[in-house]
Amino acid sequence: MVWDWSYAFDILPEIASALSVTISATVVGFILALVLGLIWTLLIRSTNKIVHHVANGIVRFIRNTPLLVQLYFIFYVFPSIGIALDPFTAGVIGLGVHYSTYLSEVFRSGIESVGPGQWEVATALNFTKRKTWTRIILPQAIPPVIPVIGNYFITMFKETPLLSAITLVEILQTAQNIGASTFRYTEPLTIVGVLFLVLSYPASLLIRRLELKIAERY
Amino acid sequence: MAEPIVKYNKVTKYFDDLQVLDEIDFEIQPGEKVALIGPSGSGKTTFARLLMMLEEITDGTIEVEGEYLWHEKDDKGNLKPASSEHQRKVRSNIGMVFQHFHLFPHMTVLQNIIEAPVTVQGRDKKEATKAGKDMLDKVGLLDKADAYPAQLSGGQKQRVAIARALVMQPKVLIFDEPTSALDPELVGEVLEVIKSIADEGEASMLLITHEMDFAKEVADRIAFFDGGKIVEDGPPSDILYNPQSERLKDFLERFMNTQ
Ligand SMILES: Nc1ncnc2c1ncn2[C@@H]1O[C@H](COP(=O)(O)OP(=O)(O)OP(=O)(O)O)[C@@H](O)[C@H]1O
Ligand SMILES: [Mg+2]
Repeated sequence: MVWDWSYAFDILPEIASALSVTISATVVGFILALVLGLIWTLLIRSTNKIVHHVANGIVRFIRNTPLLVQLYFIFYVFPSIGIALDPFTAGVIGLGVHYSTYLSEVFRSGIESVGPGQWEVATALNFTKRKTWTRIILPQAIPPVIPVIGNYFITMFKETPLLSAITLVEILQTAQNIGASTFRYTEPLTIVGVLFLVLSYPASLLIRRLELKIAERY
Repeated sequence: MAEPIVKYNKVTKYFDDLQVLDEIDFEIQPGEKVALIGPSGSGKTTFARLLMMLEEITDGTIEVEGEYLWHEKDDKGNLKPASSEHQRKVRSNIGMVFQHFHLFPHMTVLQNIIEAPVTVQGRDKKEATKAGKDMLDKVGLLDKADAYPAQLSGGQKQRVAIARALVMQPKVLIFDEPTSALDPELVGEVLEVIKSIADEGEASMLLITHEMDFAKEVADRIAFFDGGKIVEDGPPSDILYNPQSERLKDFLERFMNTQ
């Protein structure tokens, strides 16, 4: 097995161009995960017992089943109940919903780190429920957990190759296609690995710096 | 006599099976400063927190300016639990200063003070800022307007918390042991601020304290709590120098001994 540099450079643009699919799936999926994660957290905190238990049950169920199975379900089973989704949409929903359950846990820990006194003083100053959340609680709950959220972002990014299993042509799928047509897998798969490394390593350094910054402030 | 600003009617409070307040009747007149004293666990804090709506009332009613705090009248004139709009409307007359300040750590001192006027009362930001700075001046911390709470001493934090409560212009201001979380050398500055507010303010005050000298100086009336009841209630001179009940005598004696 020899590494062929000219072959590697030939295929690099094609693989790199598939990065845009990988990155947009990550970004859109993560935004969905953030929004949904916060919604889970609020539902689980509901004083309504039924809402609490139902939300809690759903979150546990999703968190404890494999992402790959969920992706298959969304892509291959949903059409049978009339919901046919293209691979990108299905993939983004799968990632978003799966990671929302982890982020909900992160939000929960952030919210619980805000002491009861803050809620009480918000009542004493006559804040509405909504303003208590948006002005008092969340601005204190979120900053300390931003590094953890960032780490989930990177983890999710690195899990996007799973989407090739539901036929999304992201970077792993592109590399495989190239490999299948040339019978050389070393270069394309190595490039995939390197591309992930090149993107996620600096990102993790950035998060580390952010973490120090935040620790300074609090 | 004028209409009382606060009126407790047979207020009872249980925490599960534990009875903490036992059918308490109590009034505060407009502008009146009332100190609550009594042994630990006698229910003073719970009594005040019911007025701030931080604990659920078990039985009885509380009126603020003749309006029920915890209840509303339905069409037939029967009492039903108050809606949250009604609660907020009546509660807007009450303010509270806590033992542990509870400043907003993510906001500067000035932001702490103008947050509620702007967000809750919908006041103009310029006007609120001016009012906030006046308050800061009043508590002697105008130079700390841009500091964060973490940069302040305990005494300074409590003075900011007082300014934050005052800027809302409450008709009744509750203090729950405002100095007991402070280092001894910082107590004086906070008491001084409270005294100056008491002297000039038209607001009524409900002041829970273990500082007897201070209570005597500031309060028009002292109520002595024991076992979930108000055992004695009267002018400071009567309560402190001419106690009637054995329980108050005991309490004062024990208190003097620990001083
Ligand atoms: N949230 C709660 N749940 C259960 N019991 C409570 C709760 N809050 C207070 N209590 C109990 O109610 C009783 C009265 O407490 P409260 O704090 O009102 O007394 P206090 O007079 O303010 O005492 P202190 O001088 O120590 O502050 C105590 O027995 C206390 O343990
Ligand atoms: Mg107390």
